[in-house]
Amino acid sequence: LRTCRGLAAGPEMHFGFQTVTEEERREKIYQVFETVAKKYDVMNDSMTLGIHRVWKDILMHKMNPCPGTLLLDVAGGTGDIAFRFINYVRSVRQKQLQRKLKHHQNLSWQEIFENYQNDKFNSLGNSQVVVCDINREMLKVGKQKAQHLGYSEGLSWVLGNAEELPFDDDKFDVYTIAFGIRNVTRIDLALQEAYRVLKPGGRFLCLEFSHVSNPLLSRLYDLYSFQVIPVLGEVIAGDWKSYQYLVESIRQFPPQEELKAMIEDAGFFKVDYENLNFGIVAIHSGFKL
Amino acid sequence: VRCQHYPPVRALRASSALRRASDEHKKEPLTASSQQHFDSPPAGHQPEEKPQGPHPSYTGQGGQESEDYESEEQLQHRILTAALEFVPEHGWTAEAIAEGAKTLGLSVAAAGMFHSDGSELILHFVSECNSKLSELLEKEQKLVQLGEAEKKPLDEFLRDAVEARLRMLIPYIEKWPQALSVLLLPRNIPSSLSLLTSMIDDIWHYAGDQSTDFSWYTRRAVLTGIYNTTELVMMQDSSPGFQDTWRFLQNRVADAVTVSSTASQVQSTGEAVVQGLMGAAVTVSNAELLLNVS
Repeated sequence: LRTCRGLAAGPEMHFGFQTVTEEERREKIYQVFETVAKKYDVMNDSMTLGIHRVWKDILMHKMNPCPGTLLLDVAGGTGDIAFRFINYVRSVRQKQLQRKLKHHQNLSWQEIFENYQNDKFNSLGNSQVVVCDINREMLKVGKQKAQHLGYSEGLSWVLGNAEELPFDDDKFDVYTIAFGIRNVTRIDLALQEAYRVLKPGGRFLCLEFSHVSNPLLSRLYDLYSFQVIPVLGEVIAGDWKSYQYLVESIRQFPPQEELKAMIEDAGFFKVDYENLNFGIVAIHSGFKL
Repeated sequence: VRCQHYPPVRALRASSALRRASDEHKKEPLTASSQQHFDSPPAGHQPEEKPQGPHPSYTGQGGQESEDYESEEQLQHRILTAALEFVPEHGWTAEAIAEGAKTLGLSVAAAGMFHSDGSELILHFVSECNSKLSELLEKEQKLVQLGEAEKKPLDEFLRDAVEARLRMLIPYIEKWPQALSVLLLPRNIPSSLSLLTSMIDDIWHYAGDQSTDFSWYTRRAVLTGIYNTTELVMMQDSSPGFQDTWRFLQNRVADAVTVSSTASQVQSTGEAVVQGLMGAAVTVSNAELLLNVS
């Protein structure tokens, strides 16, 4: 990085196990994701043996969104959470419509057909998800995936920084950040922004790698992380260093209780967390009350 | 591994959702003077060690008058109360809670604070009904003490009390079987059972020191049996104004009250009550099966 910026570049931070300045960290992380964007999903599957899908499903289940929910998925890159949200809301809406129709026992076939027609154009019940990511490449991959899988309704893609979101106050019902907050340089700013853009009563959900307290499991996990994952990175994505960064950044990330305290500091209430797989991953939840 | 959050004296900020307690028109349930009466906290939440009233707040820089902000629990109560309006349409579900939150100006995501099976909503409703019953009984007692009303005979008193309490279910009667099955979930049994027993104790307390030959436990068991069986009869009653239910209730109370003091009859009543409860449990689980099938 340009040395003439050295002095003004800001305080020392960690980038994996290296020490860098804030500016350098942002740049490096941007480059990491620029490089891995195309192989991001494949790598996720191979590293976690597909379990990341279950984690994301659990997150969606925990959210239990009802139709009409406005979701902001930050660092949503390739759209995993967004697509799951759309599927979930669609099926809830289906059940709602079925129940409504069941109640109207004495409708004629004509009326039932009209009812169905009207609601057909509202299959998501006005739910919407905005996917926000700082990285253009990740958004590009996400948009392509959406097109390929046939998602169009209720979906928007916005380029933005989690530390400074391009949205108004009090807009969203739910804010999620899945495996993204680890890469944010100023986590406190991101949390404050999350608080700002959520409606009163809105929910903050964070899915992230966390700390394993069980010592035996922790050793196995470390072994797997440092020996296997970078190798997979080299073999599949041709990029050892990015995946080295990944596993190091997981170790540098604050543990469950510390993150909980940070979330509370941002102003959220009823903050708690749920460990998945003994703490390999944790879901933190808070409400703006 | 879940971690529950205990909010001690964190600064409750001036947010739009947690509003001043002074704004809220006080509809606090008048807790009766009965020593056995207590309000059980909703299942799934640890009882918080904080005073029942609003938190003392943090005065501004200028030392203005201290304003009181409500606690999270009070907000949750408000949401659940608002949600009751939507139960006839949506059932005892997270959807009803979401609609309730919407009427308070909160996001629908606030329903995420509660269990998705509606446990807290149902327990809240039961607790509110019990409080209303206590209020009613206390008012009646005052009237009797002031000499403005006659003291009712025991069987009439019990009958009226149980009927008054069961009538509170009428607006929700369609979805009540669903609620009963949720209350029987192992997770909820401690709370639902304690709510039930405290309500029964309350009724007996206001029934006064009528000379009966029952011991305290038998009295409790007998009235619990009467209440539960009448409730179940009410679920399946389609007569106008539930008159079949009230007649059933009248008969049960009459039976119980005229039982003589001989030990064997007390014992057989106890056995009958146990059988009644078992039958009740079977009926409810059947009702639940029926609900799942329909």
